[in-house]
Amino acid sequence: MQKYEKLEKIGEGTYGTVFKAKNRESHEIVALKRVRLDDDDEGVPSSALREICLLKELKHKNIVRLYDVLHSDKKLTLVFEHCDQDLKKYFDSLNGDIDLDIVKSFMYQLLRGLAFCHSHNVLHRDLKPQNLLINKNGELKLADFGLARAFGIPVKCYSAEVVTLWYRPPDVLFGAKLYTTSIDMWSAGCIFAELANAGRPLFPGSDVDDQLRRIFKLLGTPTEETWSGMATLPDYKPFPLYQPNMSLSLVVPKLGNRGRDLLQKLLVCNPTQRMSADDAMSHAYFSDLNL
Amino acid sequence: MAGNFWQSSHHQQWLLDKQDLIRERQFDLSVLAEEEYQKIHIFFASVIQTLGEQLKLRQQVIATATVYFKRFYARNSLKCIDPLLLAPTCIFLASKVEEFGVISNTRLITTCQTVVKNKFSYAYTQEFPYRTNHILECEFYLLENLDCCLIVYQPYRPLLQLMQDLGHEEQLLTLAWKIVNDSLRTDVCLLYPPYQIAIGCMQIACVILQKDQHKMWFAELNVDIEKIQEIARYIINLFDLWKQYDEKKEIQALLNKMPKPKPAPQR
Repeated sequence: MQKYEKLEKIGEGTYGTVFKAKNRESHEIVALKRVRLDDDDEGVPSSALREICLLKELKHKNIVRLYDVLHSDKKLTLVFEHCDQDLKKYFDSLNGDIDLDIVKSFMYQLLRGLAFCHSHNVLHRDLKPQNLLINKNGELKLADFGLARAFGIPVKCYSAEVVTLWYRPPDVLFGAKLYTTSIDMWSAGCIFAELANAGRPLFPGSDVDDQLRRIFKLLGTPTEETWSGMATLPDYKPFPLYQPNMSLSLVVPKLGNRGRDLLQKLLVCNPTQRMSADDAMSHAYFSDLNL
Repeated sequence: MAGNFWQSSHHQQWLLDKQDLIRERQFDLSVLAEEEYQKIHIFFASVIQTLGEQLKLRQQVIATATVYFKRFYARNSLKCIDPLLLAPTCIFLASKVEEFGVISNTRLITTCQTVVKNKFSYAYTQEFPYRTNHILECEFYLLENLDCCLIVYQPYRPLLQLMQDLGHEEQLLTLAWKIVNDSLRTDVCLLYPPYQIAIGCMQIACVILQKDQHKMWFAELNVDIEKIQEIARYIINLFDLWKQYDEKKEIQALLNKMPKPKPAPQR
């Protein structure tokens, strides 16, 4: 721990406090995540272990780097690459206005990070603006893999209630137990709309019912034809048959036709019809991308 | 993390060289003969297997724990940590990483006590000496020595895929699967990628069951045959050793001879 000088507290993560710190030798700025070991029985918490072992395998420019793991006197400290802010704080600084080229660049980087995770069979499961870090060079990085897990074949039941409500897809809200990469693609769609609106969340639901109602009012209530098997989900309950009455051009007025088309392909209630990260990256919306 | 073995820490950091192993074991091998060293590892692989079975863990978790154990001693002398403490710690860590769920420490310690008393009394006359705080401290040490590389690829999945390609043969699969389990008692998991180990085990299974008809299938595999032969040799050597070795009679003397940690200062 002598190696780093603590500068300031950045925040509280899933399993501990995060500090900004400076490497005394190289003067490099890093983020230190202190892992609380309050449960005497569990040892190193599973969520921390999951993050450690996944980040050890996932090295990519759009995924936050884990530099080191330090052990000292019954404490565990994860040393991460430091980013200046997260997307949520970035939104707060915008005053409701965002450059559309930045929207495109951030969205592309989000998809590129996701495509890499998905190609390694890792689901993030908890994407939200607070978990997307941004540095001075306009680079976006996925962070906080505490809930992420590697999946293999055969797919088992993963614990429900993992995604912050606002970014949860309808299948998860209905209690689906089989998660696939599509879970992250829905969240990416929600974040895309939020980006385009300079930080106004798309579906800020207050509870599961309200969340689903907001989704169906915009996209129309799915039927057995558009989503076969929906009614067999564990927590399924019928909703009024809303028609997709609002055009996306009213929801994301600043986004052009291509952007709206991409958004539409991500925000699909039926998880099997949702666009993949790879396909989204080759969507026409990105044809004039400047990175 | 299926399908990306080539970019994994397992491939990049933890496929070791035979020469490295010999060098790292130099101290232990100045006290023990190579065969004695191997017998000690065979014994602790059985301890891990038995603990895992008592705790009703999946074989995948047990295999991962065994690889942690072997990786630790590939870089450290047996005197660094008592293997009787490291074995349950590996199980504790592996069950969290493989998302089997946390094993409560009380249950782990109780299981260790019962297993040592009921199954390994021929090796240990005293009761299992460690407690929760030892396991938690040891977990840190293990994590550090593994350089936090916790995702381990096992030969089971490639074995299933290869067997599917070969045509489904229940008897052959069962035997090859058992040989993969046995391979955990050799150094192959430290030296070769899991798909090669799977092929090596299938080949031995074919020889035992006299399945000559699969010769062409093996010949057409795009794989380094020399490596497969090396793996097979490791495992056959293990089988030979087993034939002329009575663990129950010899292990206590070997454990006494084994280099040990200095007794911890009394606190």
